[in-house]
Amino acid sequence: MSELSLTGVTKAFGGVQVIQGVDLSIEKGEFVVFVGPSGCGKSTLLRMIAGLETTSSGTIHIAGEDVTKAEPYDRHIAMVFQSYALYPHMTVAENMGFALRLQGVAAPERRALVTEAARILQIEPLLDRKPAHLSGGQRQRVAIGRAITRHPKVFLFDEPLSNLDAELRVQTRLEIARLHQALGATMIYVTHDQTEAMTLAHRIVVLRAGRIEQVGRPTDLYDDPDNLFVAGFIGSPKMNFLPVQASGPREITVAGQTLTLALSVPLPTGPLTLGLRPEHLSGEGPQVTLVAEVVEQLGQTSYAHGKIDGTPVIAEVRGHRPQVGEAIPLTLNPSRALVFGADGQRLR
Amino acid sequence: MSKRLLSIPMALIALSCLYPLFFALNNALKTNKEDILNRFGLATSPTFENFTQAWTRSHLSDYFLNSVTATVGAVLLLMLLASMAGFALAILRFPLRHLVFIAILASLMIPVQVVLVPFYKTVIAFGLLNTRIGLILSYTAFFLPFSIYLMTSFYAGLPRELTEAARIDGARFWQVWWFVMLPLGKPALITLGILNALYCWNDVLISLLVLQDKRTLMVGIAALRGEYTTNIPLLSAGIVLAALPIVAIYLIFQRQIVNGIATGAVKG
Ligand SMILES: Nc1ncnc2c1ncn2[C@@H]1O[C@H](COP(=O)(O)OP(=O)(O)O)[C@@H](O)[C@H]1O
Ligand SMILES: [Mg+2]
Repeated sequence: MSELSLTGVTKAFGGVQVIQGVDLSIEKGEFVVFVGPSGCGKSTLLRMIAGLETTSSGTIHIAGEDVTKAEPYDRHIAMVFQSYALYPHMTVAENMGFALRLQGVAAPERRALVTEAARILQIEPLLDRKPAHLSGGQRQRVAIGRAITRHPKVFLFDEPLSNLDAELRVQTRLEIARLHQALGATMIYVTHDQTEAMTLAHRIVVLRAGRIEQVGRPTDLYDDPDNLFVAGFIGSPKMNFLPVQASGPREITVAGQTLTLALSVPLPTGPLTLGLRPEHLSGEGPQVTLVAEVVEQLGQTSYAHGKIDGTPVIAEVRGHRPQVGEAIPLTLNPSRALVFGADGQRLR
Repeated sequence: MSKRLLSIPMALIALSCLYPLFFALNNALKTNKEDILNRFGLATSPTFENFTQAWTRSHLSDYFLNSVTATVGAVLLLMLLASMAGFALAILRFPLRHLVFIAILASLMIPVQVVLVPFYKTVIAFGLLNTRIGLILSYTAFFLPFSIYLMTSFYAGLPRELTEAARIDGARFWQVWWFVMLPLGKPALITLGILNALYCWNDVLISLLVLQDKRTLMVGIAALRGEYTTNIPLLSAGIVLAALPIVAIYLIFQRQIVNGIATGAVKG
């Protein structure tokens, strides 16, 4: 039995349908990341799971229990908000113990549970401070601590790192991953940052305009995307897309070269899109030349920007550091090439 | 240079505020005879006779107690109700809440005088005439719309996530109000308390109608003028006695009043 399941869940604000029929089930102990461009409905979906937004239609089950209409508290979830939402008039300890206080847990026992959570997050010295006297990173920890103290069935995170600076973000990301391992809890994490999604998730749910585009392990989404949107969204820098035509049932022609692809179905006629990641322009296959117009040097690797057949292309170059104007030989590796139909769906 | 220039009109304004206070205090220290002979001069042999007479023989002590009861009662009740209503209107979602808020705003625009007759009839119908509780309820009724308006705009400015976090932590609606909204409303509630205390303390009209045989301080002082048309020192002593609590409140809460105004908590 899954820990959380969504069945045909929709949400409309006024007349606007924001979530358009989501089906998803999440296993106990899983770390699932909702990712998608801003405004696609990630937060709304998370808030529906939390019970902060009503569900227009469909059902939500947590641990086998139908909670579609339940109050947030009765869902046994905890949520970490983007703004942390710490109670400004309470100390850190009072913030973390508030849920227990409402449950009627006696003060000494409460203190013990709060101290235990504070120890895990290494914020024990902060327990008697007010949120106003904490740094952004410390507030973040307190917000997570408040969630831990309750021992919820499901943790919900809504873009918890977006208010931190880059260095702290990477560090906190690691800590959340560690925390997940330590607690073995079910976590749902919302972000618009695909790197965060790739590094944290067991499974990624890619959302666009209120619909699930694809669900899968990070490597599955990277290697085997179902459609143009997922292919373009996952991976950094973005996958290169070249407009092509089929020149045979399993052949396409691009930049004067013919690629033979291993497909289970013959290609349709008409315009197609060829997808090749910047890091996959090497290996066995037909050669093309890219004249570098702009070069980004990252140290161990470089990204050369140029055009193939008039389409902008990015190529990762390892081994040497290319110069602007240099002609870089690239390989259109058929084993790495993905083809998408006119409707954006992947052709396999 | 321009600062110095500005300080001249500022000083004049300050003087015009301070002079009446000084005038009242100075006259309160004179005897009636000295006042008639020399109204604008300094008190030559200061006496506290007027204060004792006002406090005891003119019954200001009783009236003072009535004023304190009515003011404290109304101010506390107003804080409680305005915080609850402000929380409901700003945070909770229920049908017609916008309409309710607009109705409250609209009632702000009706002057007290317009509704005096129906108000008076209602007070009689509820058997509240000449009761202190009646005066407390009357003040509450008249000053509630502004109080609700102020608390609603204050609570609407708080981040929504605070309520949501509390709900996730297991707080029912009244617990969200009691544990989160009421303590967070403190700055606005202090401002509100001071404003309402001033209104209630200085009121003559409502108390004249509701407490006809008991009298509050301001009504009592107004009556002093009727009985002793010429006894300016006695009247001055009454005014000074009535002003003392207000001045004290102002001195104690000075910073909160300024902060309240500066942070836009007072938008009236
Ligand atoms: N309370 C609301 N009322 C009306 N529209 C809303 C409300 N909340 C969110 N929306 C709309 O729903 C869409 C999805 O919002 P959201 O879930 O916040 O997106 P995301 O978190 O993915 O950036 C947006 O177009 C947003 O404008
Ligand atoms: Mg969001």
